[in-house]
Amino acid sequence: MSEVMLDVRDLSGGYEPVQIFQHVDLQVSAAESIGIFGPNGHGKTTLLRTLSGLIDPWQGDIFFDGERMNREGRRGSRKWRNFNYDAVTRRRMDPKKVARAGLIHVQQGNLLFPELTVTETLSIAVSAASGRRGWSVAEVQQLFPRVAERRDHKIRFLSGGERQMVSIAAGLIAAPRMLILDEPTLGLSPKIRQELCGAILEIRKTGLPIILIDQDVAFLEQIIDTLYLFDHGRISGRMSRDEMPDHETLMVMLFGERH
Amino acid sequence: MRYDPPLQKTQGLWPLLLAVVALVAYPFVFEATYFRHVMILAFVFAIVATSWDFSLGFGGLFNFAHVALFAVGIYTYAILAKTLGVSPWLAILAGGFTSAFVALLISIPVLRLDGIYVILVTIAFSQLLYLIVISASSVTGGTSGMVTLPTLTINGYRLSGDGRIGYYFVGLGLLAANILFLYLVTRSRLGRATVALKDNKYYAIARGISEARTRALTLMASAVFTGLAGAFYAAYLRVASPDAFGMGFLTLLLSILLMGGAGTIWGPVIAAFGISVISEWLSGFGAWQNIVISVAIILVVVLYPGGLWAAIQEIREAVDNVRTSTLARLRRNRGRAEREALTGATERMIRTRFAEIAVADTGEADKPALLFCHGNSACKEAFYKQFRSMSDTHRVIAFDLPGHGVSGNGDPETTYNVAAYAEIAEAVLADCGVDKVAVFGWSLGGYVALELAARGNVEVTALAIAGTPPLAVVPEDFGNGYNPDSHLVLAGKQYFSRQEARDYGNSATAPISADSAFMHRNLPRTDGRARVYMMTKISIIDWPRQMRMLAEGRIPFAILNGSDDPFLNHGYIARLNYGSIWRGAPQDIMGGRHAPFFNKPDAFDLAFYAFLRDAESGSDAAFRPSRMAATA
Amino acid sequence: MDPITLISIIKGGLILGALYALMATGLSLVWTTLGIFNFAHGAFIALGAYVAWQFSSADALGWPMLPAVLLTCAVMFLVGVILHFLLVKPFERRSDVVLIAVITTLAGSTILENGLLLIWGPRSKQIEPLTRGEVDLAGLHLTTAEILLLVLVLAILLGIGMFLRYSRPGRSMRAVSQNREAAQLLGLDVPKLYAIAFGLSALTAGLAGIFLGTIRFMHPAMGSEPLMKALVVVIFGGVARFSSPIYAAFIIGLLEAFSTYIFGVYWAPAVLFVTMIVVLLVKPEGLFGKYQRTL
Repeated sequence: MSEVMLDVRDLSGGYEPVQIFQHVDLQVSAAESIGIFGPNGHGKTTLLRTLSGLIDPWQGDIFFDGERMNREGRRGSRKWRNFNYDAVTRRRMDPKKVARAGLIHVQQGNLLFPELTVTETLSIAVSAASGRRGWSVAEVQQLFPRVAERRDHKIRFLSGGERQMVSIAAGLIAAPRMLILDEPTLGLSPKIRQELCGAILEIRKTGLPIILIDQDVAFLEQIIDTLYLFDHGRISGRMSRDEMPDHETLMVMLFGERH
Repeated sequence: MRYDPPLQKTQGLWPLLLAVVALVAYPFVFEATYFRHVMILAFVFAIVATSWDFSLGFGGLFNFAHVALFAVGIYTYAILAKTLGVSPWLAILAGGFTSAFVALLISIPVLRLDGIYVILVTIAFSQLLYLIVISASSVTGGTSGMVTLPTLTINGYRLSGDGRIGYYFVGLGLLAANILFLYLVTRSRLGRATVALKDNKYYAIARGISEARTRALTLMASAVFTGLAGAFYAAYLRVASPDAFGMGFLTLLLSILLMGGAGTIWGPVIAAFGISVISEWLSGFGAWQNIVISVAIILVVVLYPGGLWAAIQEIREAVDNVRTSTLARLRRNRGRAEREALTGATERMIRTRFAEIAVADTGEADKPALLFCHGNSACKEAFYKQFRSMSDTHRVIAFDLPGHGVSGNGDPETTYNVAAYAEIAEAVLADCGVDKVAVFGWSLGGYVALELAARGNVEVTALAIAGTPPLAVVPEDFGNGYNPDSHLVLAGKQYFSRQEARDYGNSATAPISADSAFMHRNLPRTDGRARVYMMTKISIIDWPRQMRMLAEGRIPFAILNGSDDPFLNHGYIARLNYGSIWRGAPQDIMGGRHAPFFNKPDAFDLAFYAFLRDAESGSDAAFRPSRMAATA
Repeated sequence: MDPITLISIIKGGLILGALYALMATGLSLVWTTLGIFNFAHGAFIALGAYVAWQFSSADALGWPMLPAVLLTCAVMFLVGVILHFLLVKPFERRSDVVLIAVITTLAGSTILENGLLLIWGPRSKQIEPLTRGEVDLAGLHLTTAEILLLVLVLAILLGIGMFLRYSRPGRSMRAVSQNREAAQLLGLDVPKLYAIAFGLSALTAGLAGIFLGTIRFMHPAMGSEPLMKALVVVIFGGVARFSSPIYAAFIIGLLEAFSTYIFGVYWAPAVLFVTMIVVLLVKPEGLFGKYQRTL
């Protein structure tokens, strides 16, 4: 049983004043990859954005590689409703800290930096990695030949699939010790999806633990060791790869007959 | 941001009348001209600020040319009354017209722009107007402005006489007319269209609301009284200066708007008085005046964006918290004998991590335990009839929810939600030394009972609810499960007027009578925040877990609604998926209304006893899946 | 109109254009990177002039021009960073940050200008011109100061452009302006970049103030008119690229020079504003803007 790399304890959060997810417990070791499966709009992306520090958790803790990522203590009771506590309290999570610790989140959608070229984007990732050992530009170009081909083009002239590849490439260069991929194949044609899945499998094989959110159960099966079911803002189930049924059965598990 | 509800019904009516009386009486009591001068200025600034708030706060238009509209009013009066010799009163009216016309001009470029571009365009416009005024110096006096403008007279009586008392009342009258005007406009079709556009722009446009026309009309509406105020200001000071276009005025009015609270009518009015006083006091300090006001703006915007009005609301809430918790504390001791006589059970206080909780407990440990959970704004004594009728066979336990009855108030953010209530129920049972219990929940208490059972920390041997539509997806099912009864709106309302308290008590429990007098008397003690926070925190409860529990049907479960419960959508409740429900369907207690155990205690007790018996005996025949689940 | 007058007007327009380019660049730097409009930019211009005056004037510290200017730049950069921290950072996370920033920077501008008034008094001052001397070029009369101004401004703009394009922090700033979250997730230090952008913007404003201070009389509110001009330039040109406001600035400068000749100095600004309003009506993203930045 290898060490726990990402340790999420009793995490709750959302967008003030609406709570989106609650009491999430998640432990991912460095040797495993996990998947999170569930319907859209139930808080998966919000959970990921909290893990990577874009939004503050309301309660609970996030440990990565033994280090606490959030500031200690729960969000204090906001006694005076109209006082802007945000102005005087420090942020509980710093995305820079999370990224530099090695938890890299590749977001859903792939806008990236529309006016920068691929090369510029990758060099930004290089400078962000500053000294830590991430993938080299040569290595990601080997993984994604298209990225090498289109390196002098601005991102906004790339196709959706190519942009996704650049996103993942940039994420790899930024020295990840764990990679979060949020719906990497969303809206892509089957051919490109094939390519991406293959590439992600290659990434997996290098030993990098991946947290994968996707609707494609077959894809999930190839990559992950453990699957978490997520709906209505909570983790509602957990199963190993061997126990995973097909898409339809999973949906029934989540919603019962009524879905 | 919304403007306030109809004035007559709010609790703000009395302070308003008081203020009006005070303002009218003021000049007769205090003769000092200086303060009267400040008040007149305050009237003018209040008009300009509230009108600005109408376009900025209410309408969401980032119009930074508003102060220029005020200046337009000033110059209109100056040119018409002095240069052209028009009657001063007509000149004032004209001020309103020209201002509205200029607003129409401004609105043209603004019609299709958004956000920052509106700010930039309107600032450019105001600069343009300033330049025009400066350049057309033959007409407007250029940078020097115009002086000795005609003063206002009525039949030869100069309003500036008698310590300017005439101006005082005209100004007050203008302010009153302005507030009335804004009040009416926000409730007019224009006001509704504005709100519709803000809430959901594309839906509103699809319904035929023209965004362009709404914006133009909003700007014009905000300009009318601003222009009038400008003209009045010119008549009062008898000076027209291009300074009116400048940053000093803009900053002053912005500070009034922000510190009063954007989006509210009364905030800027109150702030206008305060800031006029302060500003006049500071005017002797030269540059420091602007610095202080600017620092104040930054502080308000950064730290307390709601401004004065929000602060007033919070103070009101704090005061109400003191009122209700004091009431609870007083009644705790004083009314104890009466309450214990009513239920026949002893009452004690227990400490939980949320609040102090009052528990009524008949105490016999050898009898099976029965827990009653009461509803919104009620108290444990709602079940006094069951206390009396069932204490022979059961140990009857009931507790006051926090913020209700004689329990204490709690931190609203953590305490006033169903999950916390369930945890409190567990604490109550633990304190009673009970780990196996049958539970009955009424209305809000029904959700508490469901949550308690779903949590699984205590063994629930039987679960019955009344007046509670089980929810799965919130807030959709809330709309499905309840009738859109006007009194239901009160369930989430913070402050009840006396009439509202009576209405809610009537529908939720029973009309006032010797029977229900206790309940009605208890209602005003309820911490209004409990009602509000229960609604806002509704999404954090694990409703699907409750539904899954009902669908699995492992706990003997019964629904005992009043057949004529006005709140419930009985069809919705009947159609839900119950894995195992007593007699196969929700039961109706005839004529029970929302509280059948209270209104028809005999019929209720009969059914309830039968249910408990069947639950205990484990009779399979009595518990069947609901028709819907059976056919699935 | 004879050729000499025409060329003289064009020269005047180009000088104005250079100044406006410098001012607008700072404004657009903040706008594209942070997404807000800094209304204290005019006050920065004034502050730069006064600080430089304090260092270089014979009535004050009397240091030579070059160290005074460099020191002013350093001071202005610092001021920009501090003001960003005070006036913008506390509500960066709010959804209505643009409106709030307008309000707080307006208030900040009032505080700065009144502060200048308190510290340095209302009497007009002037900074020593950078050089003295005149040149005659094919009948066109130029002062060496004007030439120097043109050259320096172009050099500064070039420098900033290259900084943004080729340097690490510059590229990072461009990335942040295009997608802040993606930049954060890669590990870029966004708060630091914001501070740098604001500081740089204040620095350019300060330089513009110094140039202005040499050719016009200084007074505490000297920045408000340039701010309006810079506003017109940025709207007119759009901010799609770094160079957009620069081209626009020269066009506006020429437009102003001609308007002043034709309509007189009082009405010329009106022409500019009307132009800006027309552009906003017809092409809100500016003449050169590619897409509208949603603010």
